[in-house]
Amino acid sequence: MHIKKILLTGILSILSLFLYAQSSISGKLKDASGAPIPGVSIKVQHGTAYAVSNVEGYYHIKNIHPGKHTLLISAVGFKSQKKELTLKDGEQLQLNIDLENSISEINAVSVIGRSASQEVNRQAFNVTAIDAKKLYNSTLDLSHALDRVSGVRVRETGGLGSRMNFSLNGFTGRQVKFFLDGVPMDNFGSSFQLNNIPINLAERVEVYKGVVPIWLGADALGGAINIVTNTNRNTFVDVSYSFGSFNTHRSTLNAGYTSKTGFTVQVNAFQNYSDNNYKVWVNVADINTGDYYPKQHIKRFHDTYHNETVIANVGVVGKKWADKLLVGITLGKNYSEIQTGARMVSVFGDWHRRGDIVMPSIKYQVKDMFVKGLNFSLTGNYNLGYEQNIDTMYRRYNWFQQYKQYNGKGSERERSMYKFRNNNGLATANLSYQLSQRHSFILNDVFSTFSRSGKDELFPNDEKYDQPKKVRKNILGLGYKFDYSEKWNTSVFVKNYSQRNSYSQSYNPSGNWGDVAYKNQESSFNKVGYGVASTYFIKPSLQVKGSYEKSYRLPETEELFGDLINLEGNVNLKPESSNNYNLGISYQVNIRKDHRLSFDGNLLYRDAKDFIRPMLNPNQTKQTNGNLADVTNLGVDGEVRYSYKQLFTAGVNMTYQNLRNNTRFEDGQKEQSPLYRDRIPNMPYLFGNADASLFFHNVLKKGNTLTLGYNFLYVHAYYLSWPSQGDEKLEIPRQFCQDVNLVYSLANGRYNIAVECKNLADNRLYDNFTLQKPGRAFYAKVRYFFNKN
Amino acid sequence: MKKISKYLFLAAGIVFFMSACDKEDTLSTEDFKEYEPQGRTKYIITATPVGTTGIADYLLTADDVSGGSISTSGNGKEQDGSYRYYLTHKGRFFSLLYGQGNPGDVTTYRLTEGGKLVMTRFFQAETVQVLAKVQDELLLMKVPRSGNENASFYRIDALKSRVNGEKQVNIVQLAANGERAHFTWATQVGNKVFAPYMSIKGCCGDAFGTAYPDSSWIAVFSYPDLNLEKVIRDNRTSFIGNYFNNGLAVTEKGDVYGYSPASAKNGSQYTSTKPSAIVRVLNGTTEFDQSYFFNVREKSGGYNISSQMYLANNKMLLMMYDKPGAFNGNLKLAVVDLVSQTFDWVKGVPESVISTSAPYNNNTLSDDGKTAFIGLNTPSGNWIYKIDIASGTFTPGMKVEGGTITAITKMIY
Repeated sequence: MHIKKILLTGILSILSLFLYAQSSISGKLKDASGAPIPGVSIKVQHGTAYAVSNVEGYYHIKNIHPGKHTLLISAVGFKSQKKELTLKDGEQLQLNIDLENSISEINAVSVIGRSASQEVNRQAFNVTAIDAKKLYNSTLDLSHALDRVSGVRVRETGGLGSRMNFSLNGFTGRQVKFFLDGVPMDNFGSSFQLNNIPINLAERVEVYKGVVPIWLGADALGGAINIVTNTNRNTFVDVSYSFGSFNTHRSTLNAGYTSKTGFTVQVNAFQNYSDNNYKVWVNVADINTGDYYPKQHIKRFHDTYHNETVIANVGVVGKKWADKLLVGITLGKNYSEIQTGARMVSVFGDWHRRGDIVMPSIKYQVKDMFVKGLNFSLTGNYNLGYEQNIDTMYRRYNWFQQYKQYNGKGSERERSMYKFRNNNGLATANLSYQLSQRHSFILNDVFSTFSRSGKDELFPNDEKYDQPKKVRKNILGLGYKFDYSEKWNTSVFVKNYSQRNSYSQSYNPSGNWGDVAYKNQESSFNKVGYGVASTYFIKPSLQVKGSYEKSYRLPETEELFGDLINLEGNVNLKPESSNNYNLGISYQVNIRKDHRLSFDGNLLYRDAKDFIRPMLNPNQTKQTNGNLADVTNLGVDGEVRYSYKQLFTAGVNMTYQNLRNNTRFEDGQKEQSPLYRDRIPNMPYLFGNADASLFFHNVLKKGNTLTLGYNFLYVHAYYLSWPSQGDEKLEIPRQFCQDVNLVYSLANGRYNIAVECKNLADNRLYDNFTLQKPGRAFYAKVRYFFNKN
Repeated sequence: MKKISKYLFLAAGIVFFMSACDKEDTLSTEDFKEYEPQGRTKYIITATPVGTTGIADYLLTADDVSGGSISTSGNGKEQDGSYRYYLTHKGRFFSLLYGQGNPGDVTTYRLTEGGKLVMTRFFQAETVQVLAKVQDELLLMKVPRSGNENASFYRIDALKSRVNGEKQVNIVQLAANGERAHFTWATQVGNKVFAPYMSIKGCCGDAFGTAYPDSSWIAVFSYPDLNLEKVIRDNRTSFIGNYFNNGLAVTEKGDVYGYSPASAKNGSQYTSTKPSAIVRVLNGTTEFDQSYFFNVREKSGGYNISSQMYLANNKMLLMMYDKPGAFNGNLKLAVVDLVSQTFDWVKGVPESVISTSAPYNNNTLSDDGKTAFIGLNTPSGNWIYKIDIASGTFTPGMKVEGGTITAITKMIY
């Protein structure tokens, strides 16, 4: 009996303990528009139990003692909340929580300096993330959104779709790599590039200045831009259309559907069209005598640009064997008319280019493969698209759109209908293993192939000379991350860069007309780079970061083999190398609760060797590249942001770069170069942005918000040529550009109407010498966003 | 309300302030006052700082180039474009843009009464490969190396700085061998224009290759009509002149001498079986003088001519590649007597010469006509050298600090 009693008590107490252990809280976190919020931490005060919400916004906290509790909910970008509740024995409480946007993040149109993603900023790398969602109502494309980040300068040759030159902390062109969801964008062709991708495609854009984390792979020397697309698994539709000056029309459609069984379909489609017929100030040459009619204010007439792209993915998510398996295709085309050459003096009226992209792709991701903590991902794509340059009209135009027609087979510049495919393939694999809370390892490999083939229907006999040119590139990286504590983590990594180029050159063995033979040539590189990155939180709101990398950039296929238009290949190019040092600090502070301030500062030093630099070929007919100069750069950039309640936010950022020529002796010279330690010319070195936004809540109706935004861009004047040389010099003048916008959001962001005025004061803008950019322009945008959970 | 209007006013003020002070970045001309030239001499030296790429030369001026030094550091006029070529004619200094096939500004400079070089006009012209003074005009030729089958000839009025006339010449028909006639240069001979050319494939990644490496051609055009009158041919050496290089010189007697580098190529191979040599067309004739053949390769011990500069009195300065059989690399200089066919390496020249100032625009004789000037760019610095024409002796003159000398011209004001 006694024993029974004891047993019963025991069982009961175990049972009660068991039941007791079963007490839990779960639910879903949503924002004002009903969208789930992932990555929110929910903590039980005075206890150890906590949970982090998953991608769908769900959280689940187990093992809570019954009784009174306070839940602490905090997420970056949202107001923290406290919830008091009483939990009964064994109760499984369902609690859905709506979070309010916090002040500094409510901004609808300005880039907020502090990132939306806590994870991104917690990295030891020098990274700035743009929360693209905040820009969905604006008419920006990715390149213009990036232009507002400190350290970044995007230079364009004209209007929509024009050629752009991206510079990040003084690194330009191919030194900075672009990624789409971690996959290098090298092989996407002209139909899918930064200057034609609308901001709505991205969820966020990460800008890595200097040292690039190992999982991004590839041979980024000076930094990387990673565009993270919407990975939301819900069913949603986001449609927008904008129109404005210069007959500009742009639309985007992003939609996704995920069934309960994990079947998913994602479609991103976008279109851009513009006549780019903005007015410019030019001297117009007489079509016959070449005499100038000075300072005419006339419209551009041959600058239409349009592109259309669809990206579709089908697959499954959330399976045991595949967290994600997507098969997709990117289809797109672009058309661009060429109005001018490198200077406004050369005018064209018929020359144009077109290209397309047909790129099947596959993405596979699995977590906890074989053992817990072992994650694997694999991506692959192959671009079957072509590029074509069409110049067949034997005419000479002037700015009045008059032309002289000549007889015979000629051209405006170089007669061509050359059409080529680069047949780029790319595969990336990533294997990561979290051994314990403190130790994790990562292995990353990026492999790419290139094989060019092309022909020109105007010159069918030339085909036999066109031998394939092939490149195989492989970059293998191994990284280790040590998370000592919440406060301190460090990553070290080593990378192997290898490249093999094979090509054949035609020659005439007998000297007789038409006799052709081929010689096979091969060249290869193998280099090892390494680096370290570390971050320490002095206080939760005060973070310091430091990193170093010895990195390489392998010559691009175009640099090796030319672009068949203006660039001649140089198969003897060596990889470019650089030592990068970065130091960053960020700090947030509240003053009397309502005033919030954040400070970010970065210091960097680069020491680059064998800079791949453009020069003219020996008979000065085309451009080619050479390993010519050594360059150092000491740069600083900083940003300060301020916000007051939910009513106002403002920020300012500045960048200064001290790029100096470090080539003491030019090739074959015994005298010190006159340009030694001179500033690198034709490169902006002091520039900044300022922005401010005012918010009016519940305008006309509850849930409707009116936002008034202002953005100011400043670029200091810089010389076209070396500063130390000459006394009568050519200069790219100081630039101011002011944009204003008004956004009205209805029903918590479901419907949005925006109007924008770009270049409000109609300032003259030039990013490149004499190449004028659009003056004052107006745009309007409507957007509909629907999200079903 | 009052407060808001105050802010609005402030905002409008900022916007206005930002728009008020834009600068233009275009070139502009200066006013020029005509004057009677006093016969004073000014040398214009064009130099590119060593190590620069893709930028045009700086224009430097000096009264005397026989000594002293000059530098591009903090001195000189910058020009737009990447490559420029120069001609002086009718008291004007013309700077022509080589813009990779695009049209560009030709800038015209003059010297003011005070001796300052100022830009007085600019007009639009095509990128050309040939530029020559013919009568009172400049003759420019745009020669496509692929695609287009027509070369365009432009006649420029030197006084007015504008295009006087234009002419198309089908260079595939002219070559008549399936290739293209690529004019190397043009020279006024009497009242005609002699334009030597090289035959090139113009395609297939080997535009400058040819299957006809052992012939020379000079096309003869009337002026100003620019009608093709004849092609003078020979098979004793290879093509005359070189890409962007003047192959012909007219002596005081009116005889025409032309050199061949014998550098015809096919793919990466040099395929000419003929020697680098000088041939001649006698005054008043339009045939090669078959009794004259100056085998320079043999006389020099196996060297090839890179370019030439006619000095005076049948004396020609030859720029030779510095290794026997070479077709590129450093230079070695020689003076030859065209009539007696004597060949002498010059003395007083630095060991290794990377390049010289442009030989096509040679009006840089001293006032007494006894001394010629040439810019020599060497690994240890760049100098203008004085050439004593009678003896062929070189002595260093002005040092050009840091800049590669691309041309020296003389103007009288």
